[in-house]
Amino acid sequence: MIIVPMLMIVLYAFTVQGNSVLTLTITFDNFARFFSDPIFPGVLWKSLKMALITTIICIAIGYPTAYIMARQKPKSQGLTVLLVTLPMWINMLVRTYAWKGILGRLGVPGEISVYVGMVYNFLPFMILQIYTALSKIDASLITAAHDLGADEKQTFLRVTLPLSLSGVVSGITLVFLPAVSSFFIPKLLGGGQYVLIGNLIEDYFVSTGDWNFGSAISLIMAVIILISMYITRKLDKDVKEK
Amino acid sequence: MAKKLIEIKNIVKRFDNQVVLKGINLDINENEFVTLLGPSGCGKTTLLRIIAGFLEPDEGNVFLDGEDIATVPAYKRDVNTVFQHYALFPHLDVYDNIAFGLAIKKQPKDIIHQKVMRMISLVGLEGFEHRDINAMSGGQQQRVAIARALVNEPQVLLLDESLSALDKNLRKEMQLELKEIQREVGITFIFVTHDQEEALTMSDKIVIMRDGMIEQVGSPLEVYNTPVNEYCAKFIGDSNIIDGTMKKDRLVSFDDADYVCEDYGFAENEPVDIVIRPEDIDIVPRNRGLLNGEVKSVLFKGVHYEIVAETSSGTSKTVIMHVTGEHDVVNAEAHERMSATSFSMDVEDVKDITDAEIIARANAQAWNDDEEDVSIPNVNYDLKEDEGVYDCTFETAAGTKITIKINVVKPVSVEDAGNEESIQAFNFTKSVDEIKESVALDTDLIRWADAYAWSTEDNSQVEIWDVKYDFDDENITEGDYPITFSTQGRELKLETTDHHEVGERVGLEWNPEDIHVMRKMN
Repeated sequence: MIIVPMLMIVLYAFTVQGNSVLTLTITFDNFARFFSDPIFPGVLWKSLKMALITTIICIAIGYPTAYIMARQKPKSQGLTVLLVTLPMWINMLVRTYAWKGILGRLGVPGEISVYVGMVYNFLPFMILQIYTALSKIDASLITAAHDLGADEKQTFLRVTLPLSLSGVVSGITLVFLPAVSSFFIPKLLGGGQYVLIGNLIEDYFVSTGDWNFGSAISLIMAVIILISMYITRKLDKDVKEK
Repeated sequence: MAKKLIEIKNIVKRFDNQVVLKGINLDINENEFVTLLGPSGCGKTTLLRIIAGFLEPDEGNVFLDGEDIATVPAYKRDVNTVFQHYALFPHLDVYDNIAFGLAIKKQPKDIIHQKVMRMISLVGLEGFEHRDINAMSGGQQQRVAIARALVNEPQVLLLDESLSALDKNLRKEMQLELKEIQREVGITFIFVTHDQEEALTMSDKIVIMRDGMIEQVGSPLEVYNTPVNEYCAKFIGDSNIIDGTMKKDRLVSFDDADYVCEDYGFAENEPVDIVIRPEDIDIVPRNRGLLNGEVKSVLFKGVHYEIVAETSSGTSKTVIMHVTGEHDVVNAEAHERMSATSFSMDVEDVKDITDAEIIARANAQAWNDDEEDVSIPNVNYDLKEDEGVYDCTFETAAGTKITIKINVVKPVSVEDAGNEESIQAFNFTKSVDEIKESVALDTDLIRWADAYAWSTEDNSQVEIWDVKYDFDDENITEGDYPITFSTQGRELKLETTDHHEVGERVGLEWNPEDIHVMRKMN
């Protein structure tokens, strides 16, 4: 059940349109087409850039938020966690439409709207990961750092931050990867002007009907995702070994 | 003369509405190994955390080297702590953990390296520099924690129950090692523990705490030999603690006898607590010692025997148990049988007694040949509200009769002024079967006789320690049997290398200086 659709994608990616079971032509044309046309790598780069910026914004907002949450009294912590997860209860599509309404009325340009939508959707994942890592830190370690002469800032930089990095790394995994391939937030909030790799794949499958080329793009995406997963894994390991 | 390093003045600390420290005053000298000793909840850890700067006192001051540090934050104090669970940084290796404090102070790398390596060799962790903290054993983590604190060259090292997480053998090893390290680095150690043995082994000064107050401060020898009160005596070492009276200077009395001691300065006839350490009591032939006793138990403890000797018996009371048989009466004409048992009852119950209750107490039953119950409508008796034995006859409608005895008794009690105890019990009647069926005879006898002992001082219940009787419960027959209930007498614990048999009658002896007299606690 998991393998068959994937095999189909691989099969489609390496064949040309109009194949029947009898005439199966293996080809790399689909991949060649992707890299020869400057538009496609450009879209890929744009997607990666957008995902990266989204992730960075999520860390920038998420870390301080999680830090403040973790330092609250245990009683109010439950409430703030609830508050952070609250948007996740509502369908992503509905949330995005809501933003479209708000941002459209305010006249916010398409690119910024896309970022707002992306960050809004993915921020809770980042916050929760970092919050979990922070709240797992033994309070006596902070006391020990003070005891050894570290003031608040030094304690944060030398103890709290390194010990919460694992949360940041898993937050990145949960934000960056879906962000690269997301298509309907950019489509909806970008007002059609903002074409990303996810939109491209959707186009070829749904509108053009060129499943072969669509599959090829998906495969390229899959490889990129694999590479980025490998990098984050390694990062995570390094953090833990340190 | 040792120089005063830390001066704690009238420290009061409250958590919510609870006063955890009630005005602590304490001086700690330079290069001293001080132990704060007490049970959990006595405030010892709170005091330590106030010295460390993790808590601010509500009242009072802490002076370090003459300077008031009550408001100086922890990270600016020249004091370091070894935490109970070490609190080592899991993201740093052994070396970086130890180097943490120096790196914070931005010391040059080569100096850090030099100091860290010296500490690593001091605590015996050479070769473990780059080991992952989580891969270290409890004992090794303990050493890292000590090194991490000591490398900062603090004036005072605080240790919070630091050995409690280790197993027994390792703990003993670390006790010696800690003392060794303290001697070597020559700084003040303040050690918090609830383990009296740890305190005795390592300390120069022991501070015994109770309920947020200091009970006694002294060297291990002082607190062992001259505890100020019962609490301190119980906390340090094993001891016999006896209620007594100070007759006059150097003469103390307990259990109706006077003993010479070396204590003085008490009021005449002041009630006191007396401590005699088990190892100070010697066994001598009977009538040759200060008092006689009987060996109650002998425990082999390796090097010595721990013996408990009873030197005076408790308060006792003897009652009579009437044992009756159960006889069936057969009325062949009416085809009926009947049974009932004699019983005892309290004089006070006589006026309220009913027929039904008498039938129940006597367990009177009547039945016919078909094993069907027959009612007993006639119960004839003439009870007086006075002690005595009264006849009671049960009769069915068909005329089947059985007569039993009702033994009306008063509780008998004995008061022992010397022991300040009273004991009370009833004579009672039981059937042979009931005695044979008893699985815990001593407990049943106490219940049947309603034996109860109490203190005449405060009316609190005193345990019935011993039940003595002279019959074989498996083969008991009808008749009267005396049963003696007694409370615990004076038992003294003593240690000796000679073996003695349980039941042996011995004399006990000690030197006047081995008796230590303490004021009563309020």
